[in-house]
Amino acid sequence: MRYTEFTPFDLWLLTQGLGVTIGLFLATSLLGVLIGVVWGVIRFYRVPVLTQLITFVSEILKNSPVLVQLFLVFFGFPGLLKMNVTPVTAALITLSANTAAFVYVIAVSAIESIGRDQIEAARVFGLTRWQVLRHVIAPQAAAFSIGPLTALLVNQLQVTSLISVIGVMDLAKIGANLNLRTLKPFIVWTAVGILYYLAAKLVAMLGSALEKRLRAHSAFRGL
Amino acid sequence: MLKVENVKKAFGDVIVLDGVNLTVSPGEVVSILGSSGSGKSTLIRCINGLEKLNDGRITVDDFDVSKPRDLAEARKRSGTVFQLFNLYPHMTALQNITLAPVEVLKRPKAEAEAEGRALLASVGLGDRADAYPSQLSGGQRQRVGICRALAMKPRYLLLDEVTSALDPEMTAEVLAILAKLATDGTTMLFVTHEIEFARQISDRIVFLEKGKLLVDLPAEQFFAPDGGLAQPRVAQFLSKMRKD
Amino acid sequence: MKIDLTILAPYVGFLAEGALLTAEVCAVALVGSVILGMLVAIARTSQLAWVRGLAFAYVDLFRNIPFLVQLFFFYYGLPEIGIYIDAFTTGVIALSISGGAYASDAIRAGILAIDNGIIEAAEVSGLPRRVIFTRIVLPIALRTSVRPLGSVLINMILTSSILSTITLNELTGNARIVTSETFRPFEVYVVLLLVYAALTYLVSIAISLLHRWLNRDMQPEVN
Repeated sequence: MRYTEFTPFDLWLLTQGLGVTIGLFLATSLLGVLIGVVWGVIRFYRVPVLTQLITFVSEILKNSPVLVQLFLVFFGFPGLLKMNVTPVTAALITLSANTAAFVYVIAVSAIESIGRDQIEAARVFGLTRWQVLRHVIAPQAAAFSIGPLTALLVNQLQVTSLISVIGVMDLAKIGANLNLRTLKPFIVWTAVGILYYLAAKLVAMLGSALEKRLRAHSAFRGL
Repeated sequence: MLKVENVKKAFGDVIVLDGVNLTVSPGEVVSILGSSGSGKSTLIRCINGLEKLNDGRITVDDFDVSKPRDLAEARKRSGTVFQLFNLYPHMTALQNITLAPVEVLKRPKAEAEAEGRALLASVGLGDRADAYPSQLSGGQRQRVGICRALAMKPRYLLLDEVTSALDPEMTAEVLAILAKLATDGTTMLFVTHEIEFARQISDRIVFLEKGKLLVDLPAEQFFAPDGGLAQPRVAQFLSKMRKD
Repeated sequence: MKIDLTILAPYVGFLAEGALLTAEVCAVALVGSVILGMLVAIARTSQLAWVRGLAFAYVDLFRNIPFLVQLFFFYYGLPEIGIYIDAFTTGVIALSISGGAYASDAIRAGILAIDNGIIEAAEVSGLPRRVIFTRIVLPIALRTSVRPLGSVLINMILTSSILSTITLNELTGNARIVTSETFRPFEVYVVLLLVYAALTYLVSIAISLLHRWLNRDMQPEVN
């Protein structure tokens, strides 16, 4: 017989699911930001072929459904690459790559937002391209991109819910299981929705707090 | 009759109109002079109901603009031409003109269009009826703005610095039309910086200073040494404007 | 294992059927979200605080909760309260509601960008509020928000792939069926990624053309 009432243990399950969601979100965000920034730097150096390749891949990743990307990695990679892909691995690969594609765009526009004249001035003083990147571009670009990056991450947090479809035990998957067991969809999905909502708000809040701090550093403080 | 009685208007702590009294009778052309910030435009915006009064009363043919029930009728009787034209950007010149007659006065569309075309022709824009505002010069836009106001057959035409945004050549185009309207007997309340022009077309000239109406005289007396010029502020204003 | 795309040839028609369903679901949901977006944009400029608050809550909630969760809420929840509708209708409802939150932002921005003087000119000519809204405010706002609304549509096309999880056999749903018959997930999903990317690319071109055509009367001055 199935047990259709909610139990305190369900709360524990939900918390676990939330933990998996947040853990994978943090990991893939970190990886995604790293990869995206590296891609941006490759473009800054105008590395031939690689730059075009990255731009193409990023366009495809941005303009196709994450769900299909997940299916490709989870169902398609094992046969092709003769490797075992677990749901979590597939989730890590897909979400990191997807985040990277969007971070790349933010990084490129952040670098472009810095005036050519500034870069040329720094070059005239004999700074290498790397030094210009580190000391002139990076600090300004970071302050510039915090806003768009926060918006992106709030969105990517929601995208993580798709990994439940390939069986990762994240918040959405726990919700689906609870839904099947209790047959109380309104309560279950409202609770799951609220948890996602609160997590999203937390990310947005942290982002704007960080932005304020970075802006305070780059703001003109008067004479 | 258009009556402004003891009108007071403040934006926060700033008093913009401080007990203004003014009457415009049908057929009259009244110009309002005064330096920037004297409250001229605010007065116009109070008359057409865009600003709420703090005190006093404004009636257009006995319809009180402060009463929501009367406002629609008061607005039908007055037409406003704006400094920055404010044409509807997504409509052609003709559509700008016919929208209100069709929607407010319930005029048949064909009739409103025929009248709109005639109005445009009368201001020299007969061939621009289907042009969009962005395709017209500033002077042309303002002429469309005048037609839009006239299409409602207003009893009073309110003109709020209608040439301030135009270069001299375009200003001349627009003033020529206003002069013609004045000779045709259109009632006008005319906020302007064009002193010489005001002198030519006005029956009366009033002078606003810091929200108070200092002078209200027939045009010729306004410029007479023993009339308006006897007021030191008016003399100062006129000599400054002429220098500019 | 070798990549062999020819095995997909027999399924082209089947996949095209799925793509057609994707187009249908998105077309209906686009209309739904623009209408909803308009209503919510109006509500957000209301003079009544509670109406504004409600509209804001809607936008905030549906933008911060994963679409998958929203979809399951409706898919499993509606039968619970006696509403039995098919997957297509459920998908349209969910996409419309979620898209409406984004559309309302786009339309609201379009409304706020309208020069106040234009509205004042309409007011003093005695036009009733309803006419001002339908003849002046909305047409101007919709024109300026064509591009952001286009982004809403592109997002919707990508999001509609999630409808495959509620048994709707749109493009992704049919692709899943093809993989289960061919056992060639890699080929199927790679092609699917490219099809989606091409689809959204075509849509973005169409939007640019539409934008230019709608704003043909707002060309720069010809003084």
